[in-house]
Amino acid sequence: MNKIVPIDIQSGSNSMDAYDIERVREDFPILKQQIYGKSLVFLDSGASAQKPQVVIDAVHECYETYYSNVHRGAHFLSQKCTDVYEQVRGQIATFMNAQSENNVIFTSSVTESINLVAQTWGRKFLKKGDQIIVSEVEHHANIVPWQLLQDQIGFDIKVAKIDDQGEFLLDTFKALLSPKTKLVAITDCSNVLGTMLPVKEITRLAHEVGAKVLVDGTQGIVHNGVDVQDLDCDFYGFTGHKIYGPTGIGILYGKMDVLKSMPPYQGGGDMIDKVSFSGTTFQEPPYRFEAGTPPIAQVIGLGAAIKYVSDLGMENISAHEQGLLAYANELLSAIEGVQIIGQAKDKAAIISFLIEGTHPFDVAAVLDRQGVATRVGHHCAEPLMDRLGIVGTVRASFGLYNNKDDVDRLVAAIGRAKELLI
Amino acid sequence: MNSITPQYEDYADALEMIDDEDMRFEYIIDVGKKVKDEDFPEALRIDPNLMHGCMSRVWLCDEVRDGKHYFSGFSDAIIVKGLVAMMAGSFSGLTTDQLQELTTGHVRRLNLGALTTQRQVGMMAMLETFKKFGLAGGGTIAQLRSDSV
Repeated sequence: MNKIVPIDIQSGSNSMDAYDIERVREDFPILKQQIYGKSLVFLDSGASAQKPQVVIDAVHECYETYYSNVHRGAHFLSQKCTDVYEQVRGQIATFMNAQSENNVIFTSSVTESINLVAQTWGRKFLKKGDQIIVSEVEHHANIVPWQLLQDQIGFDIKVAKIDDQGEFLLDTFKALLSPKTKLVAITDCSNVLGTMLPVKEITRLAHEVGAKVLVDGTQGIVHNGVDVQDLDCDFYGFTGHKIYGPTGIGILYGKMDVLKSMPPYQGGGDMIDKVSFSGTTFQEPPYRFEAGTPPIAQVIGLGAAIKYVSDLGMENISAHEQGLLAYANELLSAIEGVQIIGQAKDKAAIISFLIEGTHPFDVAAVLDRQGVATRVGHHCAEPLMDRLGIVGTVRASFGLYNNKDDVDRLVAAIGRAKELLI
Repeated sequence: MNSITPQYEDYADALEMIDDEDMRFEYIIDVGKKVKDEDFPEALRIDPNLMHGCMSRVWLCDEVRDGKHYFSGFSDAIIVKGLVAMMAGSFSGLTTDQLQELTTGHVRRLNLGALTTQRQVGMMAMLETFKKFGLAGGGTIAQLRSDSV
């Protein structure tokens, strides 16, 4: 990944023309509405991003003109739908720089992607006495599947630490690695703090001790894209609805030799080679892991979303968001009583914060009344909240459609929250 | 809708007179800000009095005097503190039978449309808790929980 140069949002210099934010905003019909009589400022993309018209149209067009079940259909619509559906697999492989489309498995969400790895690779290869490593910043989706498996198998879960700024402590991670380490399951970006983790270096170090690496790319891929071959991870998961696609569709990338070594996840149609009462054989990856009718329209919608962000250019999106992050960081830091939670050097466009003397739920409620949508709470990262000694944060997470006005509105709404609550 | 308690009528009338949702929202904040720490001492902010499932921490107590239930409560968030104060104030002084007659309509009449759905659900959960206190003849939140297991 090339170093991203933030766009200077204030001066408008550095290729604002290349990224026409007002034109981009036109692509998102939901942003045109008013909330409580105020124009919507949507700063909750980290939870789920809004959808551009092309995604809405793609799903609509699928259902209206060529929808049918995919694979093995002996009629025109099924063939057409299968073609479009399978093209998306190739498109996603290209987007992630996967070796081939066969490395791309369709799941329902990144949560399912991680559970799939836990219940197939993990169940087959982990044993009592082994260790796996997660980090303190993980979303529950990258903790609980391993705990469930731990209950069944009895391996140890080690936790890689962060410092008080939210910076990942690579040295303490290194100290956890040993020949017992069989898996490192780690995010590339904290959904709470925005911290970008050095997953390439983490992967290299993990491979040195023979461990596999699963990267939860839920947040990271949205802000910075990914090159899975450069990263060299064994698994990479992400979810469609956070990258401007539909809900109900997730991706699991896996290296082919690893995928081939894994038993099926769920049994059903489509994932089999031959079924008989004397024994059943299974398809090769990726189909081995895709039982039943898949989320067809969602896959096609995700394809439209991937094309959309690819056309904008992930570097341009990153630069735009980094400009917004810098601007928001500067303004929020200057507000008396505002404490930004997470000050790592390398951050995605996510700002968690607290206001001294207030409860985050009150702050988020006042922001909401000002038309500013944020998220509040533990953000499905309770161990991180415990580490930081807080009950929750207010989180403003930026997307490719946010602009400087959104930051200004957030700042004004914070001012109103202080007036009302303190 | 029959009159419940004078305090309930006061809240309902006050919120009815405010025709602006933002103002109603701020009214709840004002109610919350008026609740002082000493109104619900630290000694009562303990696990047995803690309601589960709330986004912020909410403590509720029931004191039974002469067969009537008197509720008090607290939260670490101002808006919820205001809601707890309004609910506790509105429905205190009722007998067990009167509590059982309360419906979601009584809560809706408070006209708290400025709240998110999640908080409105929380208000209904609080109402159900009051009714359970009534049936149990008092006690603590923890006792209500263990009774319902």
